[in-house]
Amino acid sequence: MSETVLQTVSLRRTFGPLVAVDNLDLKVEKQQFYGFLGPNGAGKSTTIKMLTGLLKPSGGQVYILGLDLAKNSVEIKRRIGVVPEGLALFERLTGAQLLNFVGRMYGLDRAKAAERSAELLEFMDLKDSADKLVADYSHGMKKKTALAAAVIHGPEVLFLDEPFEGVDAIAATTLKRLLQRFIAHGGTVFLTSHVLEVVERLCTHIGIIQNGRMVASGSLEELRTGVKIAGHDGSPLTLEEIFLQVVGGAKQDAEVLSWL
Amino acid sequence: MQVVSFVLGALLVFGICGAFFAGTLALLKSEQPEFLDLLLWAIFLVWQFAPVLFEGYSPGLNFREVARYPVSFRTYFLLNAVYGASDPAALACLLWLLSMWVGILIAQPAWALIAVPAFLLFALFNLFCNRIIIGLFDRFQSTRKGRERMVAVMLVVMLLPQLLQLATANWTNFKLLKIPGWVLDVITPIRRMAPPGVVARALLLDGGEKLVPLLLLGFYSLVVWWLLRRQLRAVYEGEIYAEGYTVKRELKVQPGWRLPGVDEVISAIVEKELHYIRQNARMIVQFVYPMILFLFLSFSRAGKNFFFSRSSAGLLASMAGFLLLSLPNLAYNIFGMDGEAFGRWLLSPLPLRKVLLGKNLTHGGILSAFYLIAAAIVISVSQISWLPAVTVTAAFFAVLVIQLGAGNLCSVYWPKRIELTRMNSRMASSAAGLASLLVVLPVGAISGAVGFAAWYWKLPWLPPVASLVGLALAFVLYPYLLNRAVNYSYDHLEEIAASLGA
Repeated sequence: MSETVLQTVSLRRTFGPLVAVDNLDLKVEKQQFYGFLGPNGAGKSTTIKMLTGLLKPSGGQVYILGLDLAKNSVEIKRRIGVVPEGLALFERLTGAQLLNFVGRMYGLDRAKAAERSAELLEFMDLKDSADKLVADYSHGMKKKTALAAAVIHGPEVLFLDEPFEGVDAIAATTLKRLLQRFIAHGGTVFLTSHVLEVVERLCTHIGIIQNGRMVASGSLEELRTGVKIAGHDGSPLTLEEIFLQVVGGAKQDAEVLSWL
Repeated sequence: MQVVSFVLGALLVFGICGAFFAGTLALLKSEQPEFLDLLLWAIFLVWQFAPVLFEGYSPGLNFREVARYPVSFRTYFLLNAVYGASDPAALACLLWLLSMWVGILIAQPAWALIAVPAFLLFALFNLFCNRIIIGLFDRFQSTRKGRERMVAVMLVVMLLPQLLQLATANWTNFKLLKIPGWVLDVITPIRRMAPPGVVARALLLDGGEKLVPLLLLGFYSLVVWWLLRRQLRAVYEGEIYAEGYTVKRELKVQPGWRLPGVDEVISAIVEKELHYIRQNARMIVQFVYPMILFLFLSFSRAGKNFFFSRSSAGLLASMAGFLLLSLPNLAYNIFGMDGEAFGRWLLSPLPLRKVLLGKNLTHGGILSAFYLIAAAIVISVSQISWLPAVTVTAAFFAVLVIQLGAGNLCSVYWPKRIELTRMNSRMASSAAGLASLLVVLPVGAISGAVGFAAWYWKLPWLPPVASLVGLALAFVLYPYLLNRAVNYSYDHLEEIAASLGA
């Protein structure tokens, strides 16, 4: 029997008159690799911030690992890992110091924090830069460090906001390897991404949000059967085709930029 | 405001024009033309270093960006030179050179003609030389470490006049100061061969002999032109300064610290905060400066008169005051250096109360260590009696604890992201700075009242008792302020995070 690790009920967030997230109902099961997609400004980051306790919902409930986030935030934070939008890294620490510190923030003892930091630096191919300040890292190195910081305490659920944005192919491969390993060991991943090819390859389930509302959700197969495109040749739809069909598609630009 | 500073700047420049004109006139009328080079040295130094000092406040025009546009190298070089010549410091120096030339024209008309090419070559030399220095400065500024070091150097440069003033307060008679002979032996040939001296010789020498210094000046200008051309060519062809390299080394992650008497998490926070301070030159300067100022003051004549003639307790108290002055930089914007990493505290299962406690323990610990070391020195040197020592020490810790508590509140009421690489990025918001004053002023008033009462009614026990009561009150007040700060921050997390860029 499947176990629900993340559920939202009528989750809502407003900023003044703007409704960023509108009665969102989400359900993610254990060991699912859930891709949360949507165009810019659709409400993805606002949702992930509410799920991780960075933003208070204006309404609705969030349940993570069976616990109500509003009442058990400390317990939930102990059991989840997060790569937030801005990465939130202490940039004046070296990579090694940062991982060590984050491990201890989550209650690991000194020896275990150091041991896991070393392993993660090795795995992430950051060992040669372990003594460099994070401020001097490249964007890809920072992303890898942020992911290492998110998993160092052995979380059960990972929330990742655009983990592949601005990351080169080598770094992306490392990140993917780590995430697949995490899922294989019983973890659950909830990620937002603009890189549809990566989502298509990695994610078992997908949710598409537009204007704060969920407009499609399910496994890739379910989405393929649910979406019909007029005049399509019958081959399996790619995630990009599904996405464009669901959120409104690209405008015809033959008429504009005629000089280009 | 900009108009006012422009008018004031223009008045200053024109005032100095008058000074250069009068100086030239006076030197030539009093038949001391050999000192003309001193005026030229002043121009040389301002031209070379004023633009660098001002560039410390703003990045200016980035010529690496200009090189992206479709311009030929010749145009690129010319743009760089014109940009350099239009710098306010360069324009001021050109005006001062012109003032000197007018002075020469009036006092020694025969020299006016040769002064034209000499001054022009001198101006060209200065222009190219300054552009080379700016290029080197840009190269230094292109890395984070370089920028931060530069901010620290700027701070030291800004603080230096105060220290010099204190250091020279002991020199009552400047005429007694004698420059050693070996110094003169070194300075004289440099003065003679350096461009300002060469310009002066071009004026002083007779007939055809003038040609030699003129040719030498031309040679100097040619050398700096060639060096600048070489430097700009490298940038034009795509040299990227910030490209770094990684030193491969064996990976060894040391276990974190374990401090006695505090739990694992607070130990980790203290360790993290100390790493942050240690890796920040600007913060170190701001921490250490009050101590240096205190040392200078205590050894200067004015300081000795003030402190030692009355009581040594004054010395101890002033040192405590200097130390407490550096606290608001850290304690009144406690999350400022974390910036967007403030979000990391929120994502972790740590209660904010523990985070604030850990940070307070670090800042308080550093200041306490400084105080105890300095107090031990003062007490051993001045043989201060125990009563004033206890009074000052208890008062110091009372104010320290109150400042830390008040700082927590200000840190969440008025958080401000600190940009360590920007000179004009303040360490705390203006409101927090004002709040720190509002804490210090009543403390000062109460201390003054207690001191007066003790003196008026001859109650020597009153100050130490008042200090100890103050310390006890501070420890009662601190948890209340801490709780308020924590409660406020949980209610305003989003605003705090937004202010810090999280």
